[in-house]
Amino acid sequence: MSSGFASLLPQCIYIHIPFCLKKCGYCDFYSLAGASADVLERYTQALLTEIDQQATKMPDTIIRSIYFGGGTPSLLAGQQIESILARVRSRFRVDPGAEITLEANPATLDREKLSSIMGSGVNRLSLGVQSFSDDELRMLGRVHSSNDVFRTIELVQSLGLKNYNMDLIYGLPGQSIRGWLYNLEQAVSCRPAHISMYLLQLDPCTPMGRETAAGRLILPDDELEAQMYYSGIDYLNGKGYQQYEISNLSLSGAECRHNIFYWQSAPYLGLGAGAVSFGGGRRWRNQADVKAYLENLSVNRAVPVEELESMDDNGLVSDALILGLRMTEGIDLEYFAVRFGVDLTRQYESVIELCRARGLLEVEHGRLFLTRAGYFLSNEVLCRFMA
Amino acid sequence: MQEKIRNFSIIAHIDHGKSTLADRLLEMTGALSQREMREQFLDKMDLEREKGITIKLQPVRLKYKARDGEEYILNLIDTPGHVDFSYEVSRSLAACEGALLVVDASQGIEAQTLANVYMAMDLNLEIIGAVNKIDLPGAEPETVMQEMENVLGLDIAEIMPISAKLGTGVVDLMEAIVERVPPPQGDEDAPLQALIFDSYFDSYKGAISYIRVVSGKVRKGEVIRMMYSGKEYEVTEIGVVSPYMTEVPELKAGEVGYLVAGIKNVKDTRVGDTITSANRRANQPLPGYQEVKPMVYCGIYPLENSDFERLRDALDKLKLNDASLFYEPETSDALGFGFRCGFLGLLHLEIVRERLEREYDLSLLATAPSVIYKFRLTDGSEMYISNPTHWPAPQKIDEIMEPYVKASIMAPHDYVGGIMELCQEKRGVFVTMEYLTPHRVMMTYKLPLAEILYDFFDSLKSRTRGYASLDYEVTGFEVSKLVKVDIMLNGEAVDALSFIVHDDKAYYRARAIAERLRRIIPRQMYEVIIQASIGSKIIARENIKAMRKDVLAKCYGGDITRKKKLLEKQKEGKKRMKQIGHIEVPKDAFLKVMNIEED
Repeated sequence: MSSGFASLLPQCIYIHIPFCLKKCGYCDFYSLAGASADVLERYTQALLTEIDQQATKMPDTIIRSIYFGGGTPSLLAGQQIESILARVRSRFRVDPGAEITLEANPATLDREKLSSIMGSGVNRLSLGVQSFSDDELRMLGRVHSSNDVFRTIELVQSLGLKNYNMDLIYGLPGQSIRGWLYNLEQAVSCRPAHISMYLLQLDPCTPMGRETAAGRLILPDDELEAQMYYSGIDYLNGKGYQQYEISNLSLSGAECRHNIFYWQSAPYLGLGAGAVSFGGGRRWRNQADVKAYLENLSVNRAVPVEELESMDDNGLVSDALILGLRMTEGIDLEYFAVRFGVDLTRQYESVIELCRARGLLEVEHGRLFLTRAGYFLSNEVLCRFMA
Repeated sequence: MQEKIRNFSIIAHIDHGKSTLADRLLEMTGALSQREMREQFLDKMDLEREKGITIKLQPVRLKYKARDGEEYILNLIDTPGHVDFSYEVSRSLAACEGALLVVDASQGIEAQTLANVYMAMDLNLEIIGAVNKIDLPGAEPETVMQEMENVLGLDIAEIMPISAKLGTGVVDLMEAIVERVPPPQGDEDAPLQALIFDSYFDSYKGAISYIRVVSGKVRKGEVIRMMYSGKEYEVTEIGVVSPYMTEVPELKAGEVGYLVAGIKNVKDTRVGDTITSANRRANQPLPGYQEVKPMVYCGIYPLENSDFERLRDALDKLKLNDASLFYEPETSDALGFGFRCGFLGLLHLEIVRERLEREYDLSLLATAPSVIYKFRLTDGSEMYISNPTHWPAPQKIDEIMEPYVKASIMAPHDYVGGIMELCQEKRGVFVTMEYLTPHRVMMTYKLPLAEILYDFFDSLKSRTRGYASLDYEVTGFEVSKLVKVDIMLNGEAVDALSFIVHDDKAYYRARAIAERLRRIIPRQMYEVIIQASIGSKIIARENIKAMRKDVLAKCYGGDITRKKKLLEKQKEGKKRMKQIGHIEVPKDAFLKVMNIEED
């Protein structure tokens, strides 16, 4: 997996589909609710143009992962997804074994659509399940029900797709440990290859964030959240899922390659309105404005970008550290020294010592990694590695 | 020559418009061109300009062509507008023949102003009253003038309505200075006596003294003698400030200017000392010199122990400019090596701390301010402590004394009840109350200095909707029932958190402080127990649960930058922490923890 890191050219492409049926109460990503079929089609055309533009800047790039994120990418028609992937293949060299993921809302899939999505080359689904309790789903503002999930899973399995993820959220207002473990049980019964379990963390500008700030919603206390986290991991371990990142577990070999690229500080190209790219020590973001995006690309003009950050060598080192330490295997010290020319155990000696003394971090067999206790307190460690 | 000189001060409360009036005087006498003018021109420190408060203006010499056709020299010598600096006020006033009392037309006289006017009257200065800000909507110049007549006995007909901002009445004011302030007297041929009313340190010239020549004259090249310190120096430069430094050949009786004499340190040119000629000494120094003693102490420590030497250098440099700053090295088990510093008052403390951090780029930790306590020991000896850790062994203590002040509070009579209540809470003893006008009273209380140190002024303001003003002077030590309270974190006493308090308030304060520490100290990896004790007796207890969560659940391609910003912020937060044992304590905890009333 580490073979291509010396290259500055992106090996993964992220495609942002900023449309949803309805905005969820906790979501702070850029997306618009209720787009018309016409807008979706124009957006697809615009993406094709952006692919053309970007491909000329980086010929001969081999692509190992493509990820449709949102928003709700499954709002696109199968044909639209197919045309986007076809264009990527014709402009870039896509590895035949590439991981191609599509995020999907369980309420948006039917047999016809799913088979055409799969026919287009998508080989991994990420389902925004969040909960199996309809009360919880309503509180979150989701448009689907638990029945939709079971129906979708049946469909996915009947079409022979095994590589699918389920996103689940814990730490909901009023949720108990028992309620959380019930959700996990239901999830496991669907045999997903991958489970992401996310603590509900509310941005203050989201509707649920505002309700919480006003005291109308009360989140569980830290203690309960920590119990949910660790009991969730224990439960899933017992069911054959191995944790490989703070919030991610999978069956053996089913780790999400695309996300691992992020955590290994690999460059990536983001396409679509609001999509972020990383490479050459910079992060930048396409203007998060669908209307402007459509206008610019309709006349083949480049999308304006916002510079998010530009890092010097030190900045890149700490960037790689805080991302790499999110993974349970942590950081290979020797590889890190070769890639960045930095001996971490020397440069961060006092930080490492302090975090070890607190039982949050460990160095063993040439790797630097968070301890189990360190996962849920990881900011205590990561912030000390900031440049 | 002397007939054409007028030496005067401005007495004004903070915000009553002193700096603005000074700006107008500079402008209208043509001392500065429009191009050179900037707001608050005479404010010396950036800190002053930034905070919009003036502690003290630079002295300045203005040329004014009066209506009688003659040109006069007006020397403006400012008085600091804060109770911390009342000694300096007295020396500035002693350098003048007149004082301009500036009162805000919507605020009325404030206690501090009143104290300074009385001081000016004691020194027989001609007082010229002016009511400022008459252009503002809330202005009530007639009421304020009436008050000035009633309280100070000024002739209401002679009080001048002005607007320093617009320049209204400022020319009449200058005329009044010329007409009413008597010219200086003093024999030019007598032996030299010059009063030092201010001094500051210049990195090129060394200590620069601002002086008022009272008798005789002083020239460049002459050897002078400081009459209190006894040290002698050769004068290398003398001049006037108009408002830039301009050399002159000599300064004669009645004149005001500056003097440079290769003095390395302002402590050798103390405010209030008298300069005379080494060859022809005056018989006696000018009256009124005092050695100023710090009243408020606190520990100042570098956040990083390795910065100790840099802190020492910075204090040495500040001291060059501030003779009233006191410091000596001390050590704390919790905080390492630092300094016990003494200040004239809380504002002085605040200024010094801010300058150390800002001008010398130091990250500092300050302990809670403390007054100085006097102990009479069983063996008959006496000792003073300003640091609670030096509390003597209980069996050796005969009596403990603390400093008391006489506090004057002026306020509208509606607030008398609230003020009395506050003073009683603060262990105050009522002395007198008098009506200044039918609606305003002046109350006098005896109060322990320690009680007015922390939050007295804020409480007073909030209980009187901002209408009360306060002035105080230290009267001496009185016997008091005091105890020392120690604070322990996980069983370890943190010396920097110990405090001295009156026995009646020990429980309440200990509980409040433990509670406050619980809120100030963030959750740690382990549970933290906070205890307060007198001797071995625990009087308060709190605990901080162990931290259980500090995680970013999600961190993917699109939001890495945003998540990093959160981590950066958190890292910055860590910089504001002091490691005490295994516990990270925010560095401002030591100061914050004492402000109990804020809640």
